[in-house]
Amino acid sequence: MESVLEIKDLTKIYRSLDFWKNDRTVGIESINLTVNKGEVFGLLGLNGAGKTTLMKVILGLLKPTSGSVTMLGGSNDDIAVRARIGYLSELPYFPKYLKVHEVLDYFAEVLGIPGKIKDIRINEVLETVKLGKKSKIQVKNLSKGMQGRLGLAQAIINDPDLLFLDEPMSGLDPLGYKETRDIILDLNKRGKTIFFNSHILSEVEKICTRVAVLSGGRLVDTQAVENIMAKYGSMENYFIEKAPAGVK
Amino acid sequence: MMRRIMAVAGYIFKQSFRNRILNVLIIFAVFAIGFSLAISELAQEAEAKMVVDFGMFSINIFAFLTLVLSMAVQLFEETELKTISMIMVKPIRRYEYMIGKYLGIIATVLMNIVLMLAVLMVIIAFRGGDPWDLRLLLAALYSFMGVSILASTALLLSMIATTVPGCVIYLIFVYALGHLTIHLKNLAALTGNYIVKAVVDVIYYVVPNMELFNLKDKIYSAAGLFTPGYLGLVSLYSVLYIIITLTITSILFKKKEF
Repeated sequence: MESVLEIKDLTKIYRSLDFWKNDRTVGIESINLTVNKGEVFGLLGLNGAGKTTLMKVILGLLKPTSGSVTMLGGSNDDIAVRARIGYLSELPYFPKYLKVHEVLDYFAEVLGIPGKIKDIRINEVLETVKLGKKSKIQVKNLSKGMQGRLGLAQAIINDPDLLFLDEPMSGLDPLGYKETRDIILDLNKRGKTIFFNSHILSEVEKICTRVAVLSGGRLVDTQAVENIMAKYGSMENYFIEKAPAGVK
Repeated sequence: MMRRIMAVAGYIFKQSFRNRILNVLIIFAVFAIGFSLAISELAQEAEAKMVVDFGMFSINIFAFLTLVLSMAVQLFEETELKTISMIMVKPIRRYEYMIGKYLGIIATVLMNIVLMLAVLMVIIAFRGGDPWDLRLLLAALYSFMGVSILASTALLLSMIATTVPGCVIYLIFVYALGHLTIHLKNLAALTGNYIVKAVVDVIYYVVPNMELFNLKDKIYSAAGLFTPGYLGLVSLYSVLYIIITLTITSILFKKKEF
């Protein structure tokens, strides 16, 4: 199987901002993980387990203390690699006086999407996230859930091969869960790989092909969802057993 | 590369241009310039001078306030609301983002200065003066240049300060010090103390010298500083200062974590 993400011995230690920098907190520790092409990979963990830290180190937003990340065959510093990925942060925020179309136009420009197809692509993603009729509306007039969908739209505007979603269901209503789930599954059907963090175990169960559990910054288990269901009966049972394992 | 830089600049400009606080500031600025019409009544036989003096003073102050507010809005959204992480994972180099941000901020300041200058020119014409006086236009241009230097310094300070208020306070401090360095240097020379002189020399060369851009006081001066040589040197100083500060800022920004 072709791997799209390889993480080797990844460690991130935060140093405090005080003058002597004596205080250290382990964000993640010695993580080894491979994500294969076409997978929907779920990262589970309690609050403070290191899920967002891991995602940020993978994306280059945080510098690793040690270890390496290879994605789509290159480094996260490589512009060509970054043109092929998408990222949605938890509870995304956009400038409130800009219109929905202008926000996406900005991301499309930075991604270098040619002018001729830019507007077509923007309209396509707006339809995908069900914001087609809101294109001329200022962000301040969008609900929290709609802002989440706008965040998803900017993440998929370049039709990425590898999509990172940090708590994509955060702030959504049950209908929003279903719509986001449908988008993720549709992208996956088209051969895209998805890596996401979530607390919502029922959604993880429905979407993921494989999951990993982080606890206390350490990776305590990785399993195919099929195996989990056969052995534990539900994602919740599996999570309850595995999640506290690494807590010191 | 230019497309990405211009995309960031356009985004920052639109964001600032539509910000309500900045809109209110622009309205205040226009009123302040308009006030020069009323205040000029107090100066008989020197109405035009009074209009120019008060108008240029307002342009300087409000251009600086526009910079402070634009920076505060940007920093708040980037750091507190974490808007920056989604753009930093896109195929854009960090120095490209920084240059785009700089251009967006100074475009906002420029727009404000042009608007204020237009109002001032109308008032000067109303008072019977020459609104197209080259010295007036140069004074406004160099006022913009001074704020451009401060903008690059503000971006550098934003790399050092950990909070938005911290950055704003540093910027106000640099602005005040920038107008005083020449006087500090003269005072230090008078003391004869080598340590004081050395410290003041460091401050003099590190802090942007804002007095160089203060042409407004020379508009009516017979010995004015409007020689091409002086203007050329000040332009060169500002270009070099901006390049150096933006280069240091980009190096620090490359190491920054989000």
